Amino acid sequence: MKKIRAILYQNSLVLKIFLVLLVSILSVTVLTVYSSMRMSSQLFMDTFSITNTKVMTQINERFYTFSNSIISASMAMENNGVIKQQLQEEYNSSLENHEYFYTIGQEMDKLQAHINDEATIVLLTNNNETFNTNFGVWDVDARILANSNIKRQIDQSQNKVQFFYENSELTNNQPMILVGKALKERSTQSTYGYFFTAIRERNLRNFYQEYTSEGNNILLLTPSGKIISSNLRDKIGEDSDELLQHVLDYEQDIQEYKSIQVFGQNYTILAEYVPSLHIYIVNLIDQDLLAQNLIDTNQTIIISVTVAIIALILAFIIVRKMTSSMSDLVYQISDMARYQFNKPLEVRGGYETRKTAEAFNYMLNELQDYVKLLISTQEKQRKSELKALQHQINPHFIYNTLTSIKFMMNQGKKEEASQTIESFIVLLQNTISNLDEIITVEQEIENLKNYVQIMQTRYSDRINVHYFVSPTSLELYVPKLILQPFIENAFFHAFTHKKAGHIHILVAEKDNFLICEMIDDGDGMKQSATQKHAPSKKNQLFSGIGVRNVHERIQLLYGLRYGVDISSEPGKGTKVEIRLPIEKKKT
Amino acid sequence: MKKTSLFLLLFGLLFFMAACSGEENAAGNEEENDTNASSDGEIIAWAWDQHFNIAALNVALEHYEDENFNLEIIENAQDDIVQRLNTGLSSGTMKGMPNIVLIEDQRAQSFLQSYPDAFYPIDDYFSTDDFADYKIAPTSYDGKQYGLPFDTGVTGLFYRTDLIEEAGYTHDDLVDITWGEFTEIAKDVTDKTGVAMISLDPNDLGILRVMMQTVGSWYTNPEGEITIANNDALREALEHYKTLLDNDSVKIVSDWSTFLASFNNGEVASVPSGNWIAPSISAEDSQNGLWKLAPIPRLEAAGAVNASNLGGSSWYVLNIDGKEAAAEFLGKTFGSNVDFYQDLVEEVGAIGTYKPASEGDAYTFENEYFNGQQIIYEFSQWMEDIPEVDYGLNTYGIEDILAAEVQNYLNGKSLDDVLADTQTQAENQFK
Repeated sequence: MKKIRAILYQNSLVLKIFLVLLVSILSVTVLTVYSSMRMSSQLFMDTFSITNTKVMTQINERFYTFSNSIISASMAMENNGVIKQQLQEEYNSSLENHEYFYTIGQEMDKLQAHINDEATIVLLTNNNETFNTNFGVWDVDARILANSNIKRQIDQSQNKVQFFYENSELTNNQPMILVGKALKERSTQSTYGYFFTAIRERNLRNFYQEYTSEGNNILLLTPSGKIISSNLRDKIGEDSDELLQHVLDYEQDIQEYKSIQVFGQNYTILAEYVPSLHIYIVNLIDQDLLAQNLIDTNQTIIISVTVAIIALILAFIIVRKMTSSMSDLVYQISDMARYQFNKPLEVRGGYETRKTAEAFNYMLNELQDYVKLLISTQEKQRKSELKALQHQINPHFIYNTLTSIKFMMNQGKKEEASQTIESFIVLLQNTISNLDEIITVEQEIENLKNYVQIMQTRYSDRINVHYFVSPTSLELYVPKLILQPFIENAFFHAFTHKKAGHIHILVAEKDNFLICEMIDDGDGMKQSATQKHAPSKKNQLFSGIGVRNVHERIQLLYGLRYGVDISSEPGKGTKVEIRLPIEKKKT
Repeated sequence: MKKTSLFLLLFGLLFFMAACSGEENAAGNEEENDTNASSDGEIIAWAWDQHFNIAALNVALEHYEDENFNLEIIENAQDDIVQRLNTGLSSGTMKGMPNIVLIEDQRAQSFLQSYPDAFYPIDDYFSTDDFADYKIAPTSYDGKQYGLPFDTGVTGLFYRTDLIEEAGYTHDDLVDITWGEFTEIAKDVTDKTGVAMISLDPNDLGILRVMMQTVGSWYTNPEGEITIANNDALREALEHYKTLLDNDSVKIVSDWSTFLASFNNGEVASVPSGNWIAPSISAEDSQNGLWKLAPIPRLEAAGAVNASNLGGSSWYVLNIDGKEAAAEFLGKTFGSNVDFYQDLVEEVGAIGTYKPASEGDAYTFENEYFNGQQIIYEFSQWMEDIPEVDYGLNTYGIEDILAAEVQNYLNGKSLDDVLADTQTQAENQFK
């Protein structure tokens, strides 16, 4: 998580620019695609509705022709004297019946010529006999027809042609359109028979089927809201007041087409009234579906997505290239501290980045030069300070030593006094006269012995000093007066309680270090005190160099790997370990 | 340089993609059009009657074990089929024509003789010897077999046992009788019971054809000549027809549904008709056990047999792509499968004209409705005796003319004149 955030943070420039590009490219693409699709589907709808209006007119004409043929058939039947006469006579014998049935059958066949082959003409007599020209269309049962609602409705109508949609036992459960009319004698207005025409719904569908397609639906709607025929099979026979309302609304509007919601879907509606059949032809266009067929949405989307992706990839590559060098630069600069400002920036990338890096590197170099100069000056200063301290001999030391010698003389210890003077002379010679900063271990040990000798004369022999110097290390070089401050420290502070003890000095090479150890069995001190490297520097008794300085000096001369390490335990003693490089030559 | 070529490549890719998807679309549209015009590998069959012919096709499909065979059955009224075939075949395009079509035997010759090239000879797919002889003439032409015989129109005399017995007759009195004897029984039945003997539609002279075929006679001879004027069989048939009417033994009906109603309502005592009327008779539950079956009466003329035919059709394969598959299907089912015919009888009630099938159990089924008579078996026996007749081209056309003359005959015109006039008119129209 943190890593991701870090990566995001590092690439924030790329991301920002890229996001802007992404949003703009995507919105341009989406808006263009959307508006072009909308425009083309709008255009399509306009042309489509014009075509469909013409189609509707054509269908209307077909229905007009059809209804005309039915009406002319019904008129022909009503005006047919033979039928009228035959129907009004009584027949008793088989022979008479034979003639009656034959004659009517012949006349009916003639009437069939008026209408479509897919329709049938049925004549229902008052004796509940039927004559059927095409019972393949409607296998009518005379008794059912005679008792049907349809017949009753025809009886009630004023000599008008009536249209029915029927899907019941009467039509053998097949959806059919029935047309009926009562045959009446003009003078008496008595009904002598009934004229019927039937067409199956599926044949009626042929009037308009060819104009329909998926999403382009045609329905025939009665003024009472019943759907009597449609290419949408499941809607046939349904009562839809909703659709009727839309059709009526449409009729009143002057618009060419209208968007509505019906059957739980959005449609564009066109409608036309067929006066001869008293039905509405309703054209429901599923705009989305048609537009889908017209406009290959997938293709458009694939192309625009591809274009957008390619543009985005290109944009990303270019932006990335531009910003990566910059963010790399930023990263390098922010990482500077880790390399002590020593590592120059890599000069690469675009012009701007290269110039910046160069300028930065130049500045860095200058800075480093100044820093180096500063450090070396400081070092020189420190060294000369230490040097000066090295050569300083505390006048108290001289005074105290000389006083000790005077006491020895007075006490008649001539031998001791002369030895002390001897040691003092050598000590002074080595510290003041010898200007070398670096001396051999042998010389250092000798100085130490002289110093110890003086100290022992001054403070009796309570403290014994033992030297263990490996012969090979005698030739090695060490800074002058490096051990002395610790011995001095031990003499003055380690034996205040115990009064007597031993100091062991060990010098040997170990692991590429020259190790000098000074171990006393004196009072020791608390570990925390060791950190302070002994008491204050003002109490330096021999030279200006104190315990504290030694560590500093070694590090200054040789580096951080070297130095002084003090460990102590109260009551047991103190151990001082000095780590120095093995130097075989005088530097 | 590198970048320019990259851009070019990208744009090229883009156009290629656009072109590709465009082509795909075009291909898709074409395919759609193809399926609309004619379907690959799908065999289309036209037939009429959902419960009989189409049901038979479905039974055949169940017995056909070819997974690659795809049959689409389209139901059309018989008149529609006749009209569409005429339109399609006369225009010669064959577009939109089915692979398999059902044609009534009495119409078949008019198609075969008019458009022999439009049909595919199927001699190689079945053996004509296995089928009732009378089916072969109407379904073949010029020595080649075009039709695969389907159902038989073998006729019988269905009668009401109660009414016949009331008139004083028994089953034996109705077996192997002549039409002359039938008219007398009819008179007795009508006189004694007040119920008509048979129902007739004045516009359908099928009964005359049934009578004629008992002596192997027809409106035309095998040479195609109209033989009405001197047709003794027709003369005798017409005399019986008039006698029946004169005796008031007839219930006149106007159409098919009133015909069905006439016997279902108990208005007639007998139904001389094709075997296919049996399911319509037994549809009336209240008359269960009241019906029996006797052989169809014969004419008096020499060589007459008590067997005839009414209706019946056969399957034809049109000479278009897919004809082999269609013929193979018909040959393997209707042409040779005994088990299929058993199922056909049991499930559809259709009696085929395939002779080996009559030995199956389904044929010996004792029908309770018909007093336990093995009617299927009896029909299949009579079927083999049906005299072979060449129905010729114009059966229905001639009959329209005859129907008008029959009316004249009933009104008193002499029979000689009726026959002569019909002959003249028919010759004028069809010669």
